[in-house]
Amino acid sequence: MTAASRDWESLARRSTRMRRINAGLLVGFLVIVSIPVLLPFFWVVVISFSARTGGVESLVLWKACSILVSAVFIYGAVHLAEKSVRRRLIAAGILIALSALGLFLTVGGDLHLQNYRFLVNPNLVEELRGAATAGGQFPWVWIAFINSLFVAATSTLFKVTVATLSGYYLSRFAFRGRSSFLQGLLILEVFHPWMLTIPIFLVIFWIGLLNNLAGPILVLTVLDLPFFIFIMKGFFDAVPWDMEMSAMTDGATRRQAFRLVVLPHVWAGIIAISVLGFIKGWEEYVFVTALRTGNSYWVMSTYLYYVADDVMGVDYGMVAAVSVFYMAPSLILYLFLQRHLTQLTFGGIKG
Amino acid sequence: MARIELDGVTKRWGETVAVDDVTTQLENGEFVAILGPSGCGKSTTLFLLAGIYAPTAGTIRFDGMRINEVEPKDRNVGIVFQSYALYPNMTVMQNILFPLRFKSVERDDAHRQAQEIAALVQIESLLERRPGQLSGGQQQRVALARALIKRPNLLLLDEPLSNLDAILRLSMRTEIRRIQRELGVTTILVTHDQVEATTMADRIICMNGGRIEQIDTAENLYRKPNTTFVASFVGSPPINLIHGSVKDSRFVAGDRRLLLTGLSEAAHVSMGFRPERVIAAEDGMPAKITTIEPMGREILYGAESPLGFLRFLEAAPMPRFSLGEEVRLRTELEDALFFDQGNGKRIDNVSLNEFS
Repeated sequence: MTAASRDWESLARRSTRMRRINAGLLVGFLVIVSIPVLLPFFWVVVISFSARTGGVESLVLWKACSILVSAVFIYGAVHLAEKSVRRRLIAAGILIALSALGLFLTVGGDLHLQNYRFLVNPNLVEELRGAATAGGQFPWVWIAFINSLFVAATSTLFKVTVATLSGYYLSRFAFRGRSSFLQGLLILEVFHPWMLTIPIFLVIFWIGLLNNLAGPILVLTVLDLPFFIFIMKGFFDAVPWDMEMSAMTDGATRRQAFRLVVLPHVWAGIIAISVLGFIKGWEEYVFVTALRTGNSYWVMSTYLYYVADDVMGVDYGMVAAVSVFYMAPSLILYLFLQRHLTQLTFGGIKG
Repeated sequence: MARIELDGVTKRWGETVAVDDVTTQLENGEFVAILGPSGCGKSTTLFLLAGIYAPTAGTIRFDGMRINEVEPKDRNVGIVFQSYALYPNMTVMQNILFPLRFKSVERDDAHRQAQEIAALVQIESLLERRPGQLSGGQQQRVALARALIKRPNLLLLDEPLSNLDAILRLSMRTEIRRIQRELGVTTILVTHDQVEATTMADRIICMNGGRIEQIDTAENLYRKPNTTFVASFVGSPPINLIHGSVKDSRFVAGDRRLLLTGLSEAAHVSMGFRPERVIAAEDGMPAKITTIEPMGREILYGAESPLGFLRFLEAAPMPRFSLGEEVRLRTELEDALFFDQGNGKRIDNVSLNEFS
């Protein structure tokens, strides 16, 4: 009897030990692989606030990054150990204050806002190179910003509208060619859109939308649609038939039933594809470049490219500052809506 | 409240016939149950009445008016779905008010009506909750309230009790019947549970394979089933059916013969009698117990006899017989039923003597 109970205890101890070791190994592995992912982000941010024209002080970089990265990992540990939201927030606040203090003490003298002057100076190139340079066409960053916003928002609006309606139709109606249509959607996903650059260029040229923001908007809309339709179909499939029938016997028309009863169920999907669609439009580079023949329109990606390359030579500080400015909207959007993005898999799987 | 008529209603999907030439009528304020096994077309009939499906052939009339082409939203029919189909994004109050959104009802008036209906189904205290926070029985009541608030011509209940536990089912049965009587709304209950049908409905439509087998009261379905299907579907435990044939004015089954009149020679006939007509007695035929199922008040035995497999009941609690035991069984066949094996129809005017 005693021998048997000792056995159980040692087995329990061993399994607890193994669980701890496994968890430790897993966390350690994830920490190590996340360093190369995280580091460049901090790097860029630090450079954008510290670099002087033409050069980067690498000591500043290392000092700042070591403070920031360790702050992130400490917060990660706190987040794992602490369940209450209030305490997590307190911990985050303390960490932010500590790292701000640390940054101030170690590299405080090297930080400045000079690299962000492109935000307020509409004539950046003239200031740098004089009015006579070819850079005269180079716009103020806010013009590119607004264009990018326009491209991303408009294409998202189209994508979401079409994907939602066709997802609903595919989910609810039996019609001739429905299954081949669904298979066709999947086949489209096999080809990388860049393979289509030249035909797309020709089509856009023939319909006369070259050098017009409508071109990239249309192309971006169409390229994302197959995937988005599939996602939305999955979400609609998960809404029970009964509910819709019930609404219709309750006196609603099909459209009212869709709006009042079905749509509230797929909000998560709509938000998810909106975020994905917006970020895709926001970061688009290939097609906005391919569909213009000169500097007819500017968006943030082309702006960043020219800042980094053609116009000004290399000013790392400013490139970094533009990058930070460029990445901020997607980051903010993602942070606020990530809860909805994680639901995507649930709805998507059912498709 | 309306008088409902179905006239030769048929629903086909390609080759499959879901509802086959169904003709019947419901009087104003009547409570009718459609009883049948799954896949017999009973839910399809319900959806035809609601307008969710359109009939392939035949006519549906409300108060004598043809409504085949009328949209579901204009039929003023209330449905309680098996899943209740409550709208999870709305509160209970909003759920109940939903049907009134599409009618020109004053806001205050709508709220007053909703309060009344909520009181009727006893959910006044739940109005601010969401469906996800309710138990199955409460959801059921909300669904009922939502179906009733528009004063429907016809109330359709699609297996409304099948998701409830046994005790709740019992109380909801009485509750639904009470509410139906109070409002006097014509009601159709679809169910595969004969106890639900017999306890709640005035009349029962027994369906099988898309066709109506019999429309009758619960008692008549039990005592005078028109077909073998009804005989074996209605009644718990099921009826004993003995298959045999007629030879020299005798019903022959196994090595047993029964003198009778009224059957044509050489016909293949099934004889049915309820398990309560089989009694363990010394003067009976030999049989061997093969199954024992305690059912609470009684114990159901199954036995292999010269006639075939027979079910019979004995009072609980203590089983008198054990598995494999040899017993002697007597059958009392005064009210035995005879069915034509070809078309399954009952054969009347058979009088019989005794086994020989």
